Amino acid sequence: MIIKASAAVGGGVERSPRVSLTQKKKKRSCHFRKQSHFSNMETATEASQENKFATDSDGAKIQERIQKRNQERIDGVERRKEEKETRSVPEENTEYFSRTFQAELACIEELLSHCSGEDRAEVVRKLEETTTKTAQLQKFVNDSVMFLTQYELRRSQAALQKLQSSITEARDKAMPKKKFAFRARTQDTAPPVAAPPAQSGEVDGGGGASEKSPPGAATPAQSEEAPEQCGFSNREGELLTKTAEEIRQGDVLLSHLSNCRVRLFGSPSTLHLKHIDSCEILCGPVSTSVFVDHCKNSTLAFPCQQLRTHHTTDTQVYLHVTCRAIIEDCQGVSLAPFSWSYPTMDADYAVSGLDRDRNNWSQVDDFNWLAFRTPSPNWSVIPEADRKTSWDD
Amino acid sequence: MGLLTILKKLKQKEREMRLLILGLDNAGKTTILKKFNGEDVSTISPTLGFNIKTLEHRGFKLNFWDVGGQKSLRSYWRNYFESTDGLLWVVDSADRLRLQDCGQELSKLLKEERLAGATLLIFANKQDLPGALTKEAIQEALALDEIKSHHWCIVSCSAVTGENLLTGVDWMLDDIAARIFTAD
Ligand SMILES: Nc1nc2c(ncn2[C@@H]2O[C@H](COP(=O)(O)OP(=O)(O)OP(=O)(O)O)[C@@H](O)[C@H]2O)c(=O)[nH]1
Ligand SMILES: [Mg+2]
Repeated sequence: MIIKASAAVGGGVERSPRVSLTQKKKKRSCHFRKQSHFSNMETATEASQENKFATDSDGAKIQERIQKRNQERIDGVERRKEEKETRSVPEENTEYFSRTFQAELACIEELLSHCSGEDRAEVVRKLEETTTKTAQLQKFVNDSVMFLTQYELRRSQAALQKLQSSITEARDKAMPKKKFAFRARTQDTAPPVAAPPAQSGEVDGGGGASEKSPPGAATPAQSEEAPEQCGFSNREGELLTKTAEEIRQGDVLLSHLSNCRVRLFGSPSTLHLKHIDSCEILCGPVSTSVFVDHCKNSTLAFPCQQLRTHHTTDTQVYLHVTCRAIIEDCQGVSLAPFSWSYPTMDADYAVSGLDRDRNNWSQVDDFNWLAFRTPSPNWSVIPEADRKTSWDD
Repeated sequence: MGLLTILKKLKQKEREMRLLILGLDNAGKTTILKKFNGEDVSTISPTLGFNIKTLEHRGFKLNFWDVGGQKSLRSYWRNYFESTDGLLWVVDSADRLRLQDCGQELSKLLKEERLAGATLLIFANKQDLPGALTKEAIQEALALDEIKSHHWCIVSCSAVTGENLLTGVDWMLDDIAARIFTAD
């Protein structure tokens, strides 16, 4: 089977690709269809009107309108035809993706089931073929990655990983002496964000606000205060601290710091780090995201909902992240579980609303490395023996 | 049965809109969408790819397309332009350092032919943060007054508290509906 990269557009629906397929098709032609359908019908209506009022002085005008609408309809048909030729419907590509993926997967599994027997050379040849095909399938997924929902992506990754370990197993069985070098990566097993069916009727943006708002979250009164940025910038070789009172669920920015030690004893709503060089930055629980850009040779530690790391090199992160950490344009980022603590941290955790039991510190999405079979070379886990255990000196 | 019924049915079917949510990474696009739909917003990860959500609101069927905003994904935004009725541009009002970046990305989009008919709603998000810029400041920074090609409106909101999300979406629906669903 020939594997093609998916076309330039694609998509899918968390709930049901089928629904969307019809929706989308309808929608796609909406502007044209509306025009042509309506003009069809109105032409019909007007035609009968024309019969009735044949002698009406407006007759010529009506005639003109009919002609115009007819032309519009013809144009619409032309455009639609053209459109069909130059573009494909996204959902068809998703369907195409899953059909192709499933078919190819089944084919490889079938092949794999024949990878045993007396004829060693034949087994080796078949194993080789499954490996090649799996690599092709992986490439197919990689090429389609931008157009797949996270759900589909993780599902196909999981399937590929399972396949990969079956191959390794079969290989070990067939050639027991040879130690195999690579192992399947055991990540991306997190369940997809399952979307409940869309609610019909009223959706109130304000509804359910309490589910997230921690006690003592920003009140209107607070946001009316002078919008001064809390943080530090342009410092070198200093010890910098902020207290919970100063931080107060606000947004904290640290920028252009070098050789500094920073301690933020409190729970910011969000934390931004920009242009950080050789610093040690420790922070209490951050309710939403931490955004890191241009950071090098540093050590960071904090709990947060999301970690977004950009242009960062040789930096250690002691992390508690309840959702996910991502890196983009980074090298030498290494991670370990968050281990700093300070006397009022429990209270700050409560304020932040973060779930202490959910820590995905070792699951990192590298936006520049979508070949999931091999781990991104841009980040790693700090070996236990090398982890920092004491933070105060 | 009659012509009128058919016409009505057709119109009903087409009370459907395609809304595209774009903005820089970390702006709060996915959070806005989930909050609008009354879902838990504490479990959202940065978007690798995109999400689609279809929901009914005020008798309209809204197809929201929420596309990841990381730099490496922005070149794929154009794959989602087709047939867009409304563009929601989400801004992190507290991210002053990337406001210029944000303005540039938006003005690139507005030059796109395939988005030419779309209504533009700008959400000045994260207003719950003390460091957030006002919508007036953002309006100026993004030079919104210079936009002549699209109907636009800027609404300050917070996806965390839910403040003003409905106001913004309702404005957008009204603007689109006036354009699409009223006869010529
Ligand atoms: N304080 C505050 N934080 C917010 C608000 N909206 C979103 N956030 C937080 O901002 C972070 C980013 O939100 P997302 O919804 O993931 O952002 P996005 O625009 O979808 O980002 P990409 O998927 O990378 O393009 C999350 O940690 C959210 O909790 C808001 O109104 N106020
Ligand atoms: Mg997102």
